[in-house]
Amino acid sequence: MIFTRCASLALVFFLVPAAARSAPAGQAAANVGEGKQLFQGMCGRCHGIDGTGEEGPNLARPTLTHAADDESLRAIIRDGIPDRGMPRVRRMTDTELDQLVAFVRSLGRSPAAASSGNVQRGGEIYKRLGCASCHIIQGQGSSFGPDLTEIGASRGPNYLRQSFLGPAEMLPRGSSPVPGRGFTEYLPVHAVTSEGKDVTGVRINEDPFTIQLRDTSNRFHSFRKTDLKQLDKEFGKSLMPSFRGRLTDAENEDLVAFLASLRGAQ
Amino acid sequence: MKTTILVLMLLTPLAALGQVPYPRIAAAETTPADWLTYSGNYQSQRFSPLTQINRQNVAQLKPFWVYQVRRTGIVETSPIVADGVMYITEPPSTVTALDVRTGRPLWTWTPAIPSDVIVIGSPPVNRGVAVLDDNVFVGTIHGHLIALDAKSGAVRWDVAVDDNKFGYYVTTAPLALDGKIVVGVSGAEAGIRGFLDAYDPKTGKRLWRSFTIPGPGEPGFGTWGGDSWKTGGGSSWLTGSYDPALNLIYWGTGNPGPDWNGDVRPGDNLYTCSLIAIDATTGRLKWHFQFTPHDTHDWDSNEIPILFDAPVNGRQRKLVAMANRNAFYYVLDRETGEFLVGTPYAKQTWADGLDAKGRPRVRPGLDPSVEGTLVFPNIQGASNWPSPSYSPQTKLFYQPAREMGTYFFKGESKYKRGDPFVAGGGRAVNGDDAWGAVRALEATTGKLKWEFKLLTPPWTGLLSTGGGLVFGGTEEGNFFALDADTGKPLWDLQLGAAVKANPMSFAVDGKQYVAIAAGYSLYVFGLP
Repeated sequence: MIFTRCASLALVFFLVPAAARSAPAGQAAANVGEGKQLFQGMCGRCHGIDGTGEEGPNLARPTLTHAADDESLRAIIRDGIPDRGMPRVRRMTDTELDQLVAFVRSLGRSPAAASSGNVQRGGEIYKRLGCASCHIIQGQGSSFGPDLTEIGASRGPNYLRQSFLGPAEMLPRGSSPVPGRGFTEYLPVHAVTSEGKDVTGVRINEDPFTIQLRDTSNRFHSFRKTDLKQLDKEFGKSLMPSFRGRLTDAENEDLVAFLASLRGAQ
Repeated sequence: MKTTILVLMLLTPLAALGQVPYPRIAAAETTPADWLTYSGNYQSQRFSPLTQINRQNVAQLKPFWVYQVRRTGIVETSPIVADGVMYITEPPSTVTALDVRTGRPLWTWTPAIPSDVIVIGSPPVNRGVAVLDDNVFVGTIHGHLIALDAKSGAVRWDVAVDDNKFGYYVTTAPLALDGKIVVGVSGAEAGIRGFLDAYDPKTGKRLWRSFTIPGPGEPGFGTWGGDSWKTGGGSSWLTGSYDPALNLIYWGTGNPGPDWNGDVRPGDNLYTCSLIAIDATTGRLKWHFQFTPHDTHDWDSNEIPILFDAPVNGRQRKLVAMANRNAFYYVLDRETGEFLVGTPYAKQTWADGLDAKGRPRVRPGLDPSVEGTLVFPNIQGASNWPSPSYSPQTKLFYQPAREMGTYFFKGESKYKRGDPFVAGGGRAVNGDDAWGAVRALEATTGKLKWEFKLLTPPWTGLLSTGGGLVFGGTEEGNFFALDADTGKPLWDLQLGAAVKANPMSFAVDGKQYVAIAAGYSLYVFGLP
């Protein structure tokens, strides 16, 4: 097997002119394309045609709960996760498994984007604006807002720019297990209890009978909805301030470059 | 000694011998302590006449016992209870018998599923068993129908319904009738040609097969272009209903294949997305009604058909009603299949109503497309396998309704044996843009009487009871009871995981209980 592979590689290099020797990159792209075709047939019914989730979970995430590395992702596609309801659709060939792994990985990891900004200056702006009072990077900071440790791996530069210029338009659609099911995360909520207690915060979780919040001081609240005289879910708003107009265009790009550089513990 | 045995035999009803003969199932309403068939009775009403748990005391409901499945996965089982024993299934195809007084297992049986099993179109689930006489019957994901001894779980017989290499598999609970076990198949997403089968309960010999897609020369064959009928789908993956007086089986049929690109199968594609009435003795088609001709949105019509009798326009009629996945509620005459009522019960954007015969006036331009077309209801439908319920007391049809849209995409698909044959797919709308409700519809008109809103589209069936209650559940893990007249919530409990099953009720030692599966557990509730 190993011999055969080496032999065919050698053959390719021998036959292909130097100019066309971007074969590995081209091969990867082909894998992703083929993988997409396979994915839509085999996986799209549960994970959505674009992998962003249907009845099955969203796969467009930088880290997948059951697949820390490509080998485990491959094993899952090969065998399913029967105890979570994921079937093994049918027996796949090695090539098909490679293609599916390549495609699924392409969903969750945006390529390290070229940015005109300066990462170091962006980091200084992050400090100056006090972003750490609501965000954690590599364990440092406060937890009111999203953890940004891997944000550059899961979001492209346009999203990152928009997230601080107009955060209300960019509330993330749920990909984490809580609240899950594609719910908006960090949704601002205003609740007033029947005794008149007034709480503004973000929704952590909800069901038809109860709601769980964190207020702006990051304190946890739990309410039965029948105990509330008012409950407003404020779609289209964000508790994160907009930084539009507070930075120069160059500074915006520096901050984008810094955020894009946050790719986890790699 | 002899006298003692004789006295014991005289004192012991036939039931205590473990026998569940056909007449007992046909008269299910006279023995409400048991739950002898998938939906509680042949009318599929999922109604328990028991009254002990009622509006006044339901707030005191407490867990009685909890059984945790040994075989994990999505637990969609609908329990059967007969003579103090509960029969459930665990994913993917395990059967377990439990002592209803304690929740202790009496036996469990797991088939040997081959490692190259093909399951295309759904998670590897099982929705329950059928019981008849001394046996329990289960379908498996490798496409077998198996009879087990009800006392021990020993295999009586095991037959392949059809070849799993072509994608045939079974998730549905079989339906036990007089001298036959009726079972449907899944597999439209692999391009099967669907059918409904009946087997001899004693031997496993096939008595008849009724294809859901006509072959050459048969009526309806002309509704398929070219050879598309051969891979036309039309699965029969949910348990149907039965009218003993008319000797007719009512069974819903699934989507045509491939799902989202109808170009390769021009025509109405009979009898997909239909309700078919089958003569139980011969397996012959008596009548059919197609809800969604030439479906391209995966709106199977396998939903539970509920049978009830009621006056329509001043005349007492035998009716069958279905809240279809396509978001319309239908009432048909179940003797003839005549269309009587059709009205939306959830948001839909695909049709400008129905014509006088019940055929949808389909809006143009809403087929799946390369760039994605937003249509309501969603790809999983306004309804799906979770059971509706009908209460003969309130005359209401209770439906778990799923309010959601999907961006439908069209793709290409070439049939290859054992591969997905779907040609497209869908992208869900955001979670906060979808919701659900328990809706109470006037059964003869479909008119909304009340609704109880849910945060997300539900995957839990409903049970109505003689105590004036409707039990339901949520994706967030709530199990709850509503007032059957008003929809007012009277009790709820967090079960710790999504509820993707149907509730049922039974009694033992003179006490009523309600059972529901959630997560990896089966919960049984009773009054303290």
